[in-house]
Amino acid sequence: MAEVEETLKRIQTHKGVIGTIVVNAEGIPIRTTLDNSTTVQYAGLLHQLTMKARSTVRDLDPQNDLTFLRIRPKKHEIMVAPDKEYLLIVIQNPSE
Amino acid sequence: MSTTRAKPKKPTLKVTPSSRVMNVSTSGVLRVNHSSTYARSINASVSRKSFSLAADSKILDKSSVQTPKHTVQVFDENGKDVTPQPLYQPDPAAVMSKHSKIFASDTSGGTMSDFYSTAYQTTTNASFAGPFTRSVFGSSTVSRGSQSTMESMNEEIEDPSSKRDISISLSDVQVRREEVKELIKEEMLDDVVDRYLIESETLWLLHMPAVSVSVDSEEAESVKERNNLYMELCKNRMGNDKYVERSMQTFNGAPKTKEVQSEAITMVDAATTATTWDMYDSFRSAGLGEAALSPDTDKASVPEIVSNHRLDPTRAPERTMSVISTTSIASASSSRIEIEPFVVPSEDEPDPELVLQSEKFQQDLFVMERIILENIYQPKLAAYRQLPTLEDPDSVPKVVPTVVSRREESSLDEESTLTPALERLWSFSCELTSGHNVSSMAWNKRNPDLLAVGYGQFDFKDQKSGLICCWSLKNPTWPERVFTCESGVTTLDFSASNASQLAVGMHDGSIATYNVESREKTPVIDSSDCAHKHTSPVWQVRWIDHERGASGEDKGETLISVSADGRISKWFLRKGLDCIDLMKLKRTRNEKDKKQVGDKEKKSEALISRQAPGLCFDFHPTDSNIYIAGTEEGHIHKCSCSYNEQFLETYIAHKGPLYRITWSPFCSDVFLSCSSDWTIQLWRQDLFTPVLGFTSTQSAVYDVMWSPKWATVFGAVNEGRVEIWDLGASIQHFHHALVPLPSLDPTIVSLASPGVKLTSLLFATETDCILVGDSDGQVSIYQLKNLTVGEGTQVAALEDIIGSTLASQL
Repeated sequence: MAEVEETLKRIQTHKGVIGTIVVNAEGIPIRTTLDNSTTVQYAGLLHQLTMKARSTVRDLDPQNDLTFLRIRPKKHEIMVAPDKEYLLIVIQNPSE
Repeated sequence: MSTTRAKPKKPTLKVTPSSRVMNVSTSGVLRVNHSSTYARSINASVSRKSFSLAADSKILDKSSVQTPKHTVQVFDENGKDVTPQPLYQPDPAAVMSKHSKIFASDTSGGTMSDFYSTAYQTTTNASFAGPFTRSVFGSSTVSRGSQSTMESMNEEIEDPSSKRDISISLSDVQVRREEVKELIKEEMLDDVVDRYLIESETLWLLHMPAVSVSVDSEEAESVKERNNLYMELCKNRMGNDKYVERSMQTFNGAPKTKEVQSEAITMVDAATTATTWDMYDSFRSAGLGEAALSPDTDKASVPEIVSNHRLDPTRAPERTMSVISTTSIASASSSRIEIEPFVVPSEDEPDPELVLQSEKFQQDLFVMERIILENIYQPKLAAYRQLPTLEDPDSVPKVVPTVVSRREESSLDEESTLTPALERLWSFSCELTSGHNVSSMAWNKRNPDLLAVGYGQFDFKDQKSGLICCWSLKNPTWPERVFTCESGVTTLDFSASNASQLAVGMHDGSIATYNVESREKTPVIDSSDCAHKHTSPVWQVRWIDHERGASGEDKGETLISVSADGRISKWFLRKGLDCIDLMKLKRTRNEKDKKQVGDKEKKSEALISRQAPGLCFDFHPTDSNIYIAGTEEGHIHKCSCSYNEQFLETYIAHKGPLYRITWSPFCSDVFLSCSSDWTIQLWRQDLFTPVLGFTSTQSAVYDVMWSPKWATVFGAVNEGRVEIWDLGASIQHFHHALVPLPSLDPTIVSLASPGVKLTSLLFATETDCILVGDSDGQVSIYQLKNLTVGEGTQVAALEDIIGSTLASQL
């Protein structure tokens, strides 16, 4: 448990990381470094996108599954680690 | 058998008037007696039964009176009694049985016997008044649901096989029944069972007599007469005194409106898309058994098919979400969607924390961190791996997965006249390690991205607790594993055969091995219990692979260590770590040397220590029997594993303690040594004076290492600088000048940050990078740039150099 907290803290202090969000399956934020409205927005939208992505991956091959999702908009990069029970979202600006 | 019969159990009787029952019973008895096909016991039982019945007749009477209406007993296919229970159930005089439901025993013995001969598959016994008297193939008796007792008859009736072991008493029957049943099951397999199918008696369930009669029947006349009479009666009714009209008033109760309110029936629409994976999941889970029979009230129930409307982000903060979970019933294709509303919000409190603790989450965090760091360090890592890096601030730098040799790249992009330089890529450091002195580094033999770094002070003063960190290239900001040790770590080495085993030597003389795969913080094994452990700091450990066992021991890798107490020991595992001494480094006499110790030795044999502290050693790359060791006196001894008393050779040149000695990986009889006398010496095995010596600054050289790629290149680190020497380059120039030996300059020099001393050096095996550790706990990675080494065989080049040097010396 302490390790998890430490790792989370370290991630948040890495260069260029704008925010870290952990939401559970219902969309309730467990840990977040952004404000609530942004968090909820990210969580909801990314959840849907993740479902779609996972559905796509599994449609192609049902034995496959989605492990990681990276979206690279112009301004920064969104990285999502999905799971049945939670969503781990990190927003980073790598060229900062 | 018979005694229990006497217990007053309600016989299962139909609800006929008692007299009739009596009649029946007696008749039944008579019948039985006439039958001769049965065992005496049966007869006896029957008779007894009838006796009991007779005895109980009074009770019977009462009971029969009490339940006049219960005429029919209905059984379903399995013989269970599904008769509607009467609303009034008289108190049983003595009812014991619980098996009352199933069977109705027949009062008539005759029926019993007949039942024997019949095989009833179904036990639908309906009893009624009539057919008792003629019930040879009797059916039925009435048993009150709650009161009927199992009589032997009934059970035997049920028995499909024609076994004759019938216990007489009721209770016994009960018990026996099971036994009998079991017996049947076992023996039934072998027995030939006779089955007699006999038509049962007609069971009347409803009888509605006809209202009309045919003209031809004999009753027609009487019916007609009656009709006529009736018609006359109706006619007469009008004015007759016999018939009076009378009216009545009924009381109507006052109506009252009553309202009932029920909970609103909520309807929820649920939809799912039958995607390929959806069906796959259903099939797989159905095949595995009842995967999700009942949804747990716990939130984390497994939703197999998740409705698309599962998560509504706008309502997320509220606790009114309902989890839609599906259960799959036996058939794979059908799925039932159940909805569970969340009742208790307080349940949510521990659940988010559970998420954080799950294994998967930790793993995801780990991967995420690495990805973030990859984003940050991507150019550096690409340079490390010698991949081309494109700098384009607007778009993603695409890493082309082709390995371009650096020389090509350097010739294309840069001019070849650029001087070779070291470019600093990044450094491994974190706040854990700051302040610690890097004492040694080692690559993992199997995973070339894994680096183990040991932290510990060299001096005997200000000793701190030591630290071992395993770093991965993918995460330069935090080590993968951290082990703390009590005393400073002076050396470490990864095993080649067991790639996760790390041997560590420490300042207090103990040796430990760690398993870096596990997350444990303690060493796998420790030498502190060993009797022969080292008493002084262990300055070097190495895993050596012996091709052939020395003195009959098993092959494989052994751990060799050298320590300041003058012993080179070989460690092995036998009930704990134990060692034998390969060599004791004795102080050698040196005629030239005017050391005090030497003088003392001449005077007397009593010395503080006859051992010379060993500081380093290296095994021959091809012949694992030979090794060279350097001592604090500055002597290099060549030894063999076979002789542990004597040195084979001794090379004396250095004037100070030797810090590192290493064979060339290319030329098998060339080795390098560096010491605190500011010099690095290049030796050849057969010559007792060094071939070449290198000095650059006036500071002790802490570490020297051959480059694994080029035979003529080696690196050295002294206190303030890291130097890369390229013999080929230097000496080529030197050749042209034809100037004898000294003052070769290093090809590349890189200065350390002020206040920081550089302490160790390691070449990366597959890329052109070196790692430099310093006294502040940082391990910096430098890339060798533009180091053009002459073409041609490396070995040949080195030998040429040596040869030419020797020639020039002569």
